[in-house]
Amino acid sequence: MTAPKRDELRSLGERLDAAEERNRAGQAAPAPGSMAIAFRFTTEMVSALVVGGGIGYGIDWAFARWTSVHTRPWGMIAMFVLGAAAGMLNVIRAAKEINAEIAAKKDGD
Amino acid sequence: MEQFAVRPLVPLHIGGYDVSFTNQALWMCIVVGAVTLFMALATNRRSVVPGRMQSMAEISYEFVANMIGTTSGEDGMIFFPFVFTLFMFILLSNFLGLIPGSFTVTSQICVTFGLAAFIIAMVIVTGFIKHGIGFLMLFVPKAPWYILPLLVPIEFISFMTRPISLSVRLFANMLAGHTLLKVFAAFVILLGGAGGVLSALSIAPFALIVAITALELLVAALQAYVFAILTCIYLNEALHLHEHH
Repeated sequence: MTAPKRDELRSLGERLDAAEERNRAGQAAPAPGSMAIAFRFTTEMVSALVVGGGIGYGIDWAFARWTSVHTRPWGMIAMFVLGAAAGMLNVIRAAKEINAEIAAKKDGD
Repeated sequence: MEQFAVRPLVPLHIGGYDVSFTNQALWMCIVVGAVTLFMALATNRRSVVPGRMQSMAEISYEFVANMIGTTSGEDGMIFFPFVFTLFMFILLSNFLGLIPGSFTVTSQICVTFGLAAFIIAMVIVTGFIKHGIGFLMLFVPKAPWYILPLLVPIEFISFMTRPISLSVRLFANMLAGHTLLKVFAAFVILLGGAGGVLSALSIAPFALIVAITALELLVAALQAYVFAILTCIYLNEALHLHEHH
């Protein structure tokens, strides 16, 4: 068996590097799909509105049931607005989490 | 739609409650059986150089262990058995649901909400055990005192939305995916029966079904992952309160 020439060795090294590069590009973890992110934000926002409105409705119902104070519909309106605020808070937090996730994946490479 | 209907297989009524054994219960048993069988077979040999099955089991183990490690650190590992079970259950439910003629357990809001409610209950119990009444500081962000009356209700509502957003996300993804497949399958049959050139066109929705099935495989895995990682994040908050940022 003859010793391989230097040129051959170098070209082998280059090809190995290229293959590694290609592999790394394929392995770079895909960012969560846009659909998944959009869906995440929608559920966070909508569920906050539903919970806020629901709590407000409950407050109005409780006041009507056990006291003579007539709060309907103000409890629901107030809690709905707070629910909207909570929904935005949720969305901002979700965005932060997703950003951190993407950053962590980039560091990992 | 027929594929989402819950039908009793063994009618059973106890004390006025309908506790029949339904197709849903059957498929949950099948999923649990499949996970158990898979793990039992995979860890049967326990060779140093793992075979295919053992590699799959090891990959899923390390995947969940890393997930807990990165979100809540070492002391989160006490939740490993729970999160691993949850992840495998949802993953297998989603995958088995893609088999034509099967039943998708996670496309039922009662199942996903049951899981989510249990997780939130666990978060609350863990938080109170770990921090006592101080767990309620979770609702008090760092802010000037005069805006706290506004912020505390917002934080409270934000916390209350978790079981809902968690369960609705999984349920809606599964429901939407299966509905989409069904709609395109109906197109194939309608076009195929129309005769002439239209029959030939039915190949287009059929190709789409193949593509969507591949997409659904991705969604099935992704949603199991999202559910599990959010569980980790919530448990981390119960363990460490505000320190995580």
